[in-house]
Amino acid sequence: MATLASSSSVLLSSPPSKFSQPSLSSIPRLSLPSFSHSTALSSSLSISPSFLTYPTSSKRFALSALSVKASAAEKKKVLIVNTNSGGHAVIGFYFAKELLGSGHEVTILTVGEEGSDKMKKPPFNRFSEIVSAGGRTVWGNPADVGKAVGGATFDVVLDNNGKDLDAVRPVIDWAKSSGVKQFLFISSAGIYKATDEPPHVEGDAVKADAGHVGVEKYIAEVFGVWAVFRPQYMIGSGNNKDCEEWFFDRIVRDRPVPIPGSGMQLTNISHVKDLSSMLTLAVEKPEAASRNIFNCVSDRAVTLDGIAKLCAQAAGRPVNIVHYDPKAVGIDAKKAFPFRNMHFYAEPRAAKDILGWRGKTNLPEDLKERFDEYVRIGRDKKPIQFEIDDKILESLKVPVAV
Amino acid sequence: MANLVVLQQKQPSFSLLPASLSDFNGARLHTQIQLKRKVWKPKGALHVSASSTKKILIMGGTRFIGVFLSRLLVKEGHQVTLFTRGKTPITKQLPGEADKDYADFSSKILHLKGDRKDFEFVKSSLSAEGFDVVYDINGREAVEVEPILDALPNLEQYIYCSSAGVYLKTDLPPHFETDAVDPKSRHKGKLETESLLESKGVNWTSVRPVYIYGPLNYNPVEEWFFHRLKAGRPIPVPNSGIQITQLGHVKDLATAFVQVLGNEKASKQVFNISGDKYVTFDGLAKACAKAAGFPEPEIIHYNPKEFDFGKKKAFPFRDQHFFASVEKAKSVLGWKPEFDLVEGLADSYNLDFGRGTFRKEADFSTDDLILGKSLVLT
Repeated sequence: MATLASSSSVLLSSPPSKFSQPSLSSIPRLSLPSFSHSTALSSSLSISPSFLTYPTSSKRFALSALSVKASAAEKKKVLIVNTNSGGHAVIGFYFAKELLGSGHEVTILTVGEEGSDKMKKPPFNRFSEIVSAGGRTVWGNPADVGKAVGGATFDVVLDNNGKDLDAVRPVIDWAKSSGVKQFLFISSAGIYKATDEPPHVEGDAVKADAGHVGVEKYIAEVFGVWAVFRPQYMIGSGNNKDCEEWFFDRIVRDRPVPIPGSGMQLTNISHVKDLSSMLTLAVEKPEAASRNIFNCVSDRAVTLDGIAKLCAQAAGRPVNIVHYDPKAVGIDAKKAFPFRNMHFYAEPRAAKDILGWRGKTNLPEDLKERFDEYVRIGRDKKPIQFEIDDKILESLKVPVAV
Repeated sequence: MANLVVLQQKQPSFSLLPASLSDFNGARLHTQIQLKRKVWKPKGALHVSASSTKKILIMGGTRFIGVFLSRLLVKEGHQVTLFTRGKTPITKQLPGEADKDYADFSSKILHLKGDRKDFEFVKSSLSAEGFDVVYDINGREAVEVEPILDALPNLEQYIYCSSAGVYLKTDLPPHFETDAVDPKSRHKGKLETESLLESKGVNWTSVRPVYIYGPLNYNPVEEWFFHRLKAGRPIPVPNSGIQITQLGHVKDLATAFVQVLGNEKASKQVFNISGDKYVTFDGLAKACAKAAGFPEPEIIHYNPKEFDFGKKKAFPFRDQHFFASVEKAKSVLGWKPEFDLVEGLADSYNLDFGRGTFRKEADFSTDDLILGKSLVLT
C-alpha cells in the first residue's frame, strides 16, 4: 500500500558545514534505497563520526542542533496569508512567532480589515506580540496580495486561508509571478476518505470533490518547491475556535458531558506548537519537504471519552459522560458536538520520516495549562446556555443538577 | 532425562501439495484479491550485515513464527538448530512450498531435542554445542532464560519474541516502545524476561508483535472469522465494532527477526512489529470476507455484559483499542510490512483455511447464545 511515494528518494537536506555555506537548494538529491537513512546522513554531512552513532536520541539531537544553524544562516522572508476566523487561525500566529524566534522575516496578511470585529478575538487581539518580535502585520484581500503587501517580495508563502481553488489560486499565481521560491498550504485531514483501516496516512485516498484537493493539485502543477499540510484539531492559547473549552464548560458547571455514539471514536488533538514546528522545519528544509504532503498532527490519538476524561483530570473534577444516538434524539451531531462522530485519526508519518520532526504534544499537561487560562479569564463563571445538551439529556431522561 | 541428540532431519515427503504459487483451486475465486498472488520476498533481509554465517539456536521453531523464520535463516546460509521436545515434526512442507525448497531446508535444519524447562539439560546441551545467536521464540518466563545465558557466555545476541501485550493500557494510543508497561499484565513473564536480559548485560533485542496472523496460525484469529464466513453465519462483534486492533503477518514478523540479526542498531532495543495500518473489528470482519472471496458478512453487535459465556471466548480480540506504532522498526531497521491486511488475509486463506486446514474446530456455541438472545429481543 503506497504511503510516501517519494520517501525513497528524499535526502535530509544538509545544513552548511563550518567552512562553506552552500545554499540548501543546490544540494543534489540522491536516490537511496529506503533503508539506508544513516548512510544518507553521513554522506551528505561529512562531519564528525559522532553523528553516525545511534541510538536515535543522539541522532535527534544532531538534527535539531544542525537545523538551528541552518535557520541562522538561511534567513527567509516569509509571508503568511491568514484566515480571519476559525480553528486554523491560530496556526499563523504560532508559525509567525516561531519563525521570528528563529531569525526569519515575517509578514502576516490577515484577510479583511484591521478594524473589523473579528480582530477583537484571539489570536488577532494579540498581534502586537508579532510586531514586537519584529514581524509585520497587514490586512487585505487575498485576491490581490501584491497590493496588500505593498509590492514586497518573499521567499516563502504559506496560505493558511483558502479552502478551495477560488480562494487560493490568486495567491498561488501572485506568488509564482513575484518569484516566491516555496509555497506552503494548510489543507485539511478532513479530505481523507473514511476508512476501516486507520490511521489516515499521506498517500491515502482523498475525497475527490473536496475543495482543498483542487488547491493541492494546482499547487503541484504550478510550483517546483511546495509542501502541503493536513491538520486536524489543535489546542493552544490564542485559539479562535473552541476545542477543549467545550468540555471545560460542562465539567466546571457539574453538567453531564453528552458524547455521541460509543465514545470510542478516535481523533487527534495537537498542541498548535507541533504544527508550527513542522511548518518551520519545512521552511528550513525546503528540498527535503518539497513535493510532499504532511499530516500536520501530533503523534497520539485520543478517544472522545478520553478527551472528556483528560479535561476533567486537568480541571481536577469528576466527569459524567453520557452517550447518545444523535438520530434517535433527533439532533445534528455536528451542531451538538465539536468533533466528528466517527474515527478521524491521521498520523504524522511523513513529517517524522522526511523532516525528522518530533511531536511534543502532551495532552494531559497541555490541558492543565488550558484549564488554568480558562479559569484566569473567568470563563468558568460565565453564564452559558446549554440548549442542545438539555434537549439530549431530556430525551435520555438524565437529571441535571441546577 | 532427555539425551543430547542432534539430528539432521530428513522428512518423508507429505501428501503432494500444489507447488506453484500461482496455482490455486476453488471455484469461487473471482475477486481481485483472489487473483493477486503475493510472493513473499523480504527486501530488507538481503542487506543484513554480510558477516559470516552464524550458528543459530531457535528455542521452538516448529509451530508458527519459527517455521517461517528458520527457513529465512537457512536460506541466508546460517546453521540453524531448533530446540524442541520433538512433539511436533521438526519439519513439515509448507502449503505452496516447492518440493525442492522443502528438501533443501529439511536437509539443513538441525534439531536439539529437549525440554527447555529442564534447566540443567538446557545448560549442558547448549554449552556443549555453543551457539552464536539465540532466537527465543517460545520463552514465557524469565527463569527459562538464565540457563541459556549461563551456557553461552560468548553469545553474540539474544533475540526475544516478546509481546505488545506488555504495554499498560493507554488513553493515548498508539503504543510506542517507550510507553509504560504493565507489570501486572497477563504477559508479565515477557516483561520480566526483557528486564532480565537488560540486567545481564547481554546483547539483546526484543520484538513485540501485536496480533500475528498468517498460514499455520494456531491462535484462532483469522480462522475465527473464516469458520463463520464459510458457515454462512453472521459475525457477532462485541459493543460498537469500532474498537481498533492491529494484525501483523507472520512472514513480515519473520523478516523483522532476520533484520535484527547482527544489527548494531538493534542492540538492546525493543521493536514493535505488526501491520502498517490498524483495523476496526467491523473492518476486520469485512476484510476477511473480501480476502476469502465471501460476500460482505452480516455483523451483529451485542453487549457482552448481558451474557455469561463461562470459560469460552466469544471473540478473539481484547475488547478495547489496542495497537502499536511500528515506526521505530521502519526508521531504524528499514523494515516494512510487505503485506497489507486484505492481501495478508488472502495469503492465509489461500495457503491454509481455504485448503481445508485449520487448527481449531468451529465452535458456534457462544454465537448461538448471542443470536438466540438477539432474536428474542426483536
